[in-house]
Amino acid sequence: MQAESHKQSVRHGLIAMLPRLKRFADVLVGEKKEGKALLRRALVRMLAEQHRYQRGTPLDRWAFAEIYQLWLHELRDHADPLGQAKTSEAGFDRLFPKDRKVEHDALTASFLGHLPPQQRSTLLLVYGEGFDHEAAGHVLDSSPDTIAARLIRTSASLADRLGSAAQTPATATIETLYPKRPQDDHDRAQ
Amino acid sequence: MTELSDELLVAYVDGQLARDQTRAVDKVLEQDEVIASRVDTLKEAHNRLESAFEAILAGEVSEAMAAMRIAPLPKSKPRGNGLAKVGLATAGVGLMLAALVAGYGWPLVIPDLITLGQRPPQQQPKPQIAVAPAQQPQPQQVVVAPPTWQEAATRAHALLSRESVEVGLEGQGNQDLVAFQVAQAIGPAVKLPNLEAQGLKFMRAQLLRFGDKPLAQMLYLGAHKDPLALYAMRGGGGDSRPVFKQEGAIGSVSWRDDGIAYLLAGEDDEAALVRLAEKIRNEPSAPEMVPPPRPEPEPQLSQAPSEPASSAGPSVSPATASDPTVTGSNPVTQQASPQPAAEPAPRAEPAPAPSPAQ
Repeated sequence: MQAESHKQSVRHGLIAMLPRLKRFADVLVGEKKEGKALLRRALVRMLAEQHRYQRGTPLDRWAFAEIYQLWLHELRDHADPLGQAKTSEAGFDRLFPKDRKVEHDALTASFLGHLPPQQRSTLLLVYGEGFDHEAAGHVLDSSPDTIAARLIRTSASLADRLGSAAQTPATATIETLYPKRPQDDHDRAQ
Repeated sequence: MTELSDELLVAYVDGQLARDQTRAVDKVLEQDEVIASRVDTLKEAHNRLESAFEAILAGEVSEAMAAMRIAPLPKSKPRGNGLAKVGLATAGVGLMLAALVAGYGWPLVIPDLITLGQRPPQQQPKPQIAVAPAQQPQPQQVVVAPPTWQEAATRAHALLSRESVEVGLEGQGNQDLVAFQVAQAIGPAVKLPNLEAQGLKFMRAQLLRFGDKPLAQMLYLGAHKDPLALYAMRGGGGDSRPVFKQEGAIGSVSWRDDGIAYLLAGEDDEAALVRLAEKIRNEPSAPEMVPPPRPEPEPQLSQAPSEPASSAGPSVSPATASDPTVTGSNPVTQQASPQPAAEPAPRAEPAPAPSPAQ
């Protein structure tokens, strides 16, 4: 009876977390279709081997770790793991909904799309999921120090980009030899 | 100018520093514009990353909701194997996550979307995407994408148990014997109703499984109609009124009686199914049955039970009579004295599972 209710709670927990699990798989793989396929395979494995889930462990931490381990395992088996782990910018950009009223942050999307999968996942777990360094390290099979180092590198790198992007408009104005004046349009209309 | 590394500043922005360290950085920021500017940029980076991940999650949620609003339920009534459809109606409801896994069309089934954004208590609380209450789906809402035949077959196969194959069909004509078998598996209170007055003839029954629990399926056939199935499974305390549900072309009514959960499924309309369900609810339980009497053993056998059965000829011990490979008895002898649940018909390996859809 206890085992049955344990199974039920794992199953219901996974269902409740599906969008979060899907986001993790998508961000890890860097693409929607492959992310969905990875999540499907991981769910099959999780349900088949849910006895490995230890009570007391946060279910989301276990589920994220299972997805990551499966991804890593499949990547290692691949003939060209480095090529396989590459993310296309367009594919990653499709993870962001375009029909929302919120402005699409193309710079951050592009930045994330160019990061290695482990670094992207680190950012997601800490900034997206609110995990502490230890929990994120558990999921990604890394030490908390490694997690902290990845956060520093990526945050500093994005900050550098933001800093340089902020300077771009001034430079662009100087390089414009024949700036269009507002009255030009007005004159042409007359 | 004070030198503070990005390492320290990122930890500061992320709130990872101790209180006194934070105060020290605050003081530096008041005096050093360059570092203050760097911290502002790091904060902006942090905020942008959070917003980006929230946007992705919001996309997943809105996709899920859109799928729930527009996913078409199969409305066509293809005339085909009605038996399979009846089985699938049950499987579709019961094997929720199996369906999700087998035919994962995002999102196939998310009954608990309402809990999205809730964090386990041990997680650090953090603002999540705001899901407008008006957009939240009803908790009961279940959306099933039309499955391929491979997915449908895989789901239906999950209901097959060893008993489905082992229990032979020879005894299906004897409704009392079937009732006895079903009552043994599900419980004495189970009903095997006679629906002939409603134009439905009992055809056969079989034992399926749901997880590790036996699930009885009783099939009825009316003139010019698709099959109607009554499913019964032990479990669920208390009685409950019949509830109708439509799954594509299949309608179903579920209720509980005497600790047994029932599901009546078929392609009839709601009124007809609910009427039948009421009729079944008012039926008496299957009569208490004792196994058919065993033939009297020959005196020499009872005196020498350890003797090889082959020496007994046609009047072998009934305990082994149903296994011709052991006794060498002929099928006529078995039919004369069936031993339903204690010793089923010759053991056969269940049919191999169909390959999952590639």
